[in-house]
Parts: sequence; C-alpha cells; structure tokens
Amino acid sequence: MSPTALTRMKAAPHAHAEEIPGGYAGKLLRVNLTTGKIWSQPWTPDDMRLYVGGVGLGAKILYDEVGPRVNWDHPDNRLILATGPLAGLPVWGTGGLTVVTRGAMTNGATSTQANGFFGACLKFSGYDAIVIQGRAPRWVSLYINDDAVELRDARHLLGKDTWETQDALSAEHGLSGHRLSVYSIGPAGENLVRFAAIQGDYGHVASKNGCGAVMGKKRLKAVCIVRGTRALAAADSRGVIQAADDIAHDLKTDPSARSLYEWGTLPAVTGLYKMGVLPIKNYTTNLAPPDVNMADWEGPKLRQGFDHRGHQCSACGMHHCHIQVIPKGKHKGELVDEPEYEGWSGAGWAIGCTDPVAVAWLNTRIDRACVDVNEFGWLCGWVMEGIETGYITRAQLGFDLRWGDAEGAARLLQLISHRKGLGDLLAEGVKRAAEKLGGAAQDAAIYTLKGASPRGHDHRARWDEMLDTCTASTGTLESGIPVHVTEVGLPPRINPFNGEEVAQQVAGIRGRRHFEDSLGACIFTTRTRLENICRALSAATGWHYTVDESVRFGRRTAAILRAFNLRCGIGPEVEHPSKRYGSTPTDGPAKGQAIGQQWGKMLDTWYTLVGYDRKTGRPKPETLKKLGLDWLHKDLWGKKR
Amino acid sequence: MGEEALSPLEALRCTVEVVSWVTKFIGGPGAGRKEFEEPFVPGETVRDVLQRFSGRYPELDAALWDASKKDIGEHIEVMVNDAVLGLTHTLDTPLRGHDRITLLGQYMGG
Repeated sequence: MSPTALTRMKAAPHAHAEEIPGGYAGKLLRVNLTTGKIWSQPWTPDDMRLYVGGVGLGAKILYDEVGPRVNWDHPDNRLILATGPLAGLPVWGTGGLTVVTRGAMTNGATSTQANGFFGACLKFSGYDAIVIQGRAPRWVSLYINDDAVELRDARHLLGKDTWETQDALSAEHGLSGHRLSVYSIGPAGENLVRFAAIQGDYGHVASKNGCGAVMGKKRLKAVCIVRGTRALAAADSRGVIQAADDIAHDLKTDPSARSLYEWGTLPAVTGLYKMGVLPIKNYTTNLAPPDVNMADWEGPKLRQGFDHRGHQCSACGMHHCHIQVIPKGKHKGELVDEPEYEGWSGAGWAIGCTDPVAVAWLNTRIDRACVDVNEFGWLCGWVMEGIETGYITRAQLGFDLRWGDAEGAARLLQLISHRKGLGDLLAEGVKRAAEKLGGAAQDAAIYTLKGASPRGHDHRARWDEMLDTCTASTGTLESGIPVHVTEVGLPPRINPFNGEEVAQQVAGIRGRRHFEDSLGACIFTTRTRLENICRALSAATGWHYTVDESVRFGRRTAAILRAFNLRCGIGPEVEHPSKRYGSTPTDGPAKGQAIGQQWGKMLDTWYTLVGYDRKTGRPKPETLKKLGLDWLHKDLWGKKR
Repeated sequence: MGEEALSPLEALRCTVEVVSWVTKFIGGPGAGRKEFEEPFVPGETVRDVLQRFSGRYPELDAALWDASKKDIGEHIEVMVNDAVLGLTHTLDTPLRGHDRITLLGQYMGG
C-alpha cells in the first residue's frame, strides 16, 4: 500500500466470468468516500443487456439509489463515471465516459459525456463503471491501477486548475500521455460553483448540470487511472474490426459526417451564422459586427491560424481534437485546446469576442478553472449586457467589463471560481443570479426554467434544440442532434420554423442519443447509421442487437430519467424557456420567427408522440408497458398493474 | 423608389452559392464559398435549377437528393435568399432573377 493511501479495495469475485458478454469487464467499482470502503460489484449479463452501460446503466443506479430527499449536495448522491461495451475496443472514439449524477443546476438527473482515454483505461483495469457515494472527511483523489485502488490524500492538489492537477499527478506517478488518464475538478468545483465541470486528459470536459460541483461536494479532487493490463475480449473480434472499418469509412465519406471528420466542429461557426443560429452578444443580435469578415471564421482558417497538432482520443482517426499554441499577444506561446464550436460560441460570440486568438485562450482558461463553457457564455454575456444597460454596475462587479473583453471575462471567471464579491452570486449560474436581481436583469438572462444551460446556439433559430433542452431530463440535450433521421422513419427534411414538424422530429429521434451515450463511444464517432453501431455492439458482445432494440433501449432510459426527475419534483411546469431565451429574433436570417407563438402546440405534439401524460409529465402506463418498464408503474401511478 | 428594372438577360439568372464543406462535392477545398451564375427560363423552379446544377457534379448529386432524386436528402441545407427552404420558397417555387440559392452543410454543433 502506498504511504499516502487511506484505503485499499478487497479482492473482487469472478464467479460468473465465463458468462460475461464480450466487451464488458463485468464489474462495477464502488467507492464510499465517507467510510473509505472500496469494493467491486459484479453485474449480471441480463442487466448488461437491459442497461448496456453509460447513461443506461447510470440511470438505473440513480433511480435505485438516489431518493427524492437526496439533493445534489447530499453525501448519498451518486457520482457515476460509466463506460460501455465499446470502450477500449478498436472502434473510433471509444475512450470516453458518461457522467451520471443528480446535478447542481437542475437538482435532477444528469448525463454528460467526455472523451480522451479514461474509458479505455478503466476497462483495461477491469471495471465498466465507477460508482462514488459519500463525502470524504478530507480532500482525496481516487487512484486505480488494476487491482490497486486507493483513496489518496489530495490536499496538495487544492487550488490547482485541471491541467495543473493532471501535470502534478503525472509527475507523481511518472506516467503521462496515454498511460495515465486523469479527470479532475478545478477551483470552481472545489468552491461548489453550480456549473462546475469535470475535465480530463487536457481538454475533454463533462460539463453539464454542475457535475463538477457534485464531485467537489464529495471532496474528490481527481480520479486517475493507470492504463490497465487486463484483457478485454470481443465476442467476435473480426466482426468488430469489420464494423469499425465501415463506421470509419462512413465518417470519412458520408455527407453527414465528412466535415466533422476533417475539421471537427469548426465549420459550424460560419454555417450556423448563415442560419441565424450563432448566438451573438447574449441574443441581442444575429448579425456580426461590420469589421468582422466571416470568411476568417471558416474551419480551416480557424485551425491554420495556430501552430497545432492532433490530440486524438483512444482509437480515434478523426481530425477533430487538436492542441494549439497561442501565436501572438500577451499569452503568446501558451498551449491551449482548440475550441470546439461550443467554445468559439461561449467564450467568443456570445460575449461579443471576435478575436479567435483571444477566444482560444479564454476557452482553455474556462476548461482549466473548470466550468461549463455554455453557462459561462450566457452568464458573462448577461453581465456584459448588464454593465452596458445598467442592471449591473461597475461598482458591484469591481471592474469594467465590456463586450468582447476576453481578459475581463477571465477576471470574471476567477471571481466566480473563488466565489469572491459578486462572483459568489454569479457562481449560482445565470438563472439564479437573474432571478435574484429581477426586473430587467431577469428579462435579459438566457436559461431554462428547469435550470439546464442551453447549448451554444441561438435556439430561437433552432427550435428542435430549444424544445429538446426544455423537455430533457439530462440537464442538457437528450435527443438532438438529428442524424440519419430517415433510418427511424422520419422525413429527411422539415421546416425548422414549423412547430408541429419540429416536435415530430424531436420526438421521433428520441432514444438514439441515450443509446450512443451508453456505449462508451464519442457522439461524434457514432454519427453513422444505427445499423453500423448495432453491428459493432453485436460483434463486441455476441448479442444480436437490432436497430429497433437500440431505439427501445434509448427510450426506456429516457423514461427512467424522467421518472427520476418527477420524483425529484421536476415536472412539466418548468419545461419552458426564459423570456430572452424564448424571444423572437429582431434581425438576421430568423428575424420575426416567433417560437413563443407555437410553444404550447409543440409541447402538446411532443407529449403525444413520446407517450407521456401532458399534465403530469409521467410516462403513460401503455408507454411503460411498451418499453418493458412495468416496474415503474407503481412509483409513477400509485398502484401496481 | 421602386424596383430597378431588370434587363431580360439579367432576369433569367440566379446565383447558386456553395458554402464551406459542401464545396468538397464540387471539387473545392471544403472551405470558403463558390458562386455560380445559373441561367434559367421563366417558370423554372428551385428544383429545376438545382437538378441541373447538381447534374454536373455526381458527388453533389448523390449528397443533395434523396433516393427518389426528387426531394432534398437529409444532409445538405438549402436556403433561398437567406431563408431556409419552406419559409419563402419550396422546391416548386418559380425562381426570379437575382435569386440566390445557398447549399450549406446541415450538420452543425459541438
């Protein structure tokens, strides 16, 4: 045992090893931070088929183990870091994890994905997921090296940002690169900022619904996993390779994924601008300033403006993630993670910053501190608008903060991360801060009444995502983005401003995202036909997994999460956008398109099609039966069927 | 001041704008934009012009249309005069001089 270890886990039983489907380690790693107890828990092949992994597994654990009085900050809340059956196999982008917990923003369910190497390392160590409960008496990190699983003193890591934390742990263990995966919280998580995130492997962020605040409340600074040495077998290795090749070919050549393969999410900036979906200055306009040439924001230009190199995740061949160097200015020479579209949006356009170098720098500051870049964008933009219009004063903030000021935004980030001054209120997120100030301040804030942060789009021109964000039970989108919709019987195109058609599409694609988030695979590399993904899953596990089963599984998971949220008191009454979020654009390509006029009808259609009761939000008895969820009937409807 | 009178020649041309990664399908770099002046005769629709245009580029033709080749598929967004199809124009709306059809990659997010 390491001299710094507090606890070591006991040996794990392997009673049913011969029955474990391919692709699975067969065990969950359980950690009770209060008592320091660590143990492994086998799970059955039947449960693997039913709950798969990722959010599917996490939803079931959350429902079973986190009761309605266990709020996000209660020690009995669970923090579940789950992989899936494809993690660690040679399918592109299968190093990820899905974080499931009761989150701080909505005080409801959370499912948020990140990638890198964590999932593969965990599987190679012999575990399919980590389930963390309790609260450590002092700050700890969780160290996993095959059977050696230890809680280690982490007080020396306090105050470090996420990149510094990974640097420190890499130095302590003498391991770096792909040999040690570290996911940690930064100062924001330590100080329970409600939109704190969990960041890993230099640039991958599980960002939604305050999962970093949950980790901070548990006094867990980091989880670090040495790349394990356990064998991980597929039921049909040749079949996995064949399916993986087909998926890779699809991603490289299919019109739906080709740009993603080559440029990641960078092309979205100009594409979304063209459609009025790029959020600019806290939704106050959809037009770029006259001095900005949008051609400079094309994907290749954004990438080639920096010295850069690929920063691929486990087993991934996409030209997506990159590390780059700040080329000029005050921070010249700093390494940063190339922003995803969400970073260009949240650390850039949403706060009026149109200098790509400044955005790239600020985006990594946000990851390091470590908060959700979407929520930070809405919050910072709201503060900037407040300084301009007067609902927040310079005296309140302690300094001036104008549109586009990246250095000022970084200063704001520090205030928030350490809950200093006005930062203490802002650390509650824009919804709670705006509700506290009221009046014009509340009118200008972008949020859902549920508390979930919208993604970095102007959803007033992307109604599918606004409907999805408001009705989701995951603290973020749970159905979007539409991909290969004809595969599930939907029309290839809809009018994006026809509420009825939008609601039909959002309801119709329901389930696919939950399925993807249960595999241990990146949602960008599952942007292929479900048929291909099911082939990979079947080859990995030895099951015959069909497209129909994948959709049914996803919808089953969605219904469990909805039942969880209803039990937490989160129902249809909060499935609405804030005043600004649901307003009508006054300029740009979506000028005059008023979602507010169609919102009620959209909800009606969505509820009918997903089979939930419009008034109570509950999945109807016939829906439960269809999904194989009879066991939820009594909880939802008060009597056994 | 009313609309400027168009000469007959000008009135029979529209612009097809191919943006960003869709340029790959017409031999471009996958970035920037390419514009084409497309002639048409009175009464021709958005569909007529797009079918003729994509007919010159097999990769675009495969990506733009669904299996029936009559309707737009699910991967490329079509805008007419900066409005998505369905708002001011459908595929069957006759074009007017100086109309601008934009082909844009549908997938966008992060």
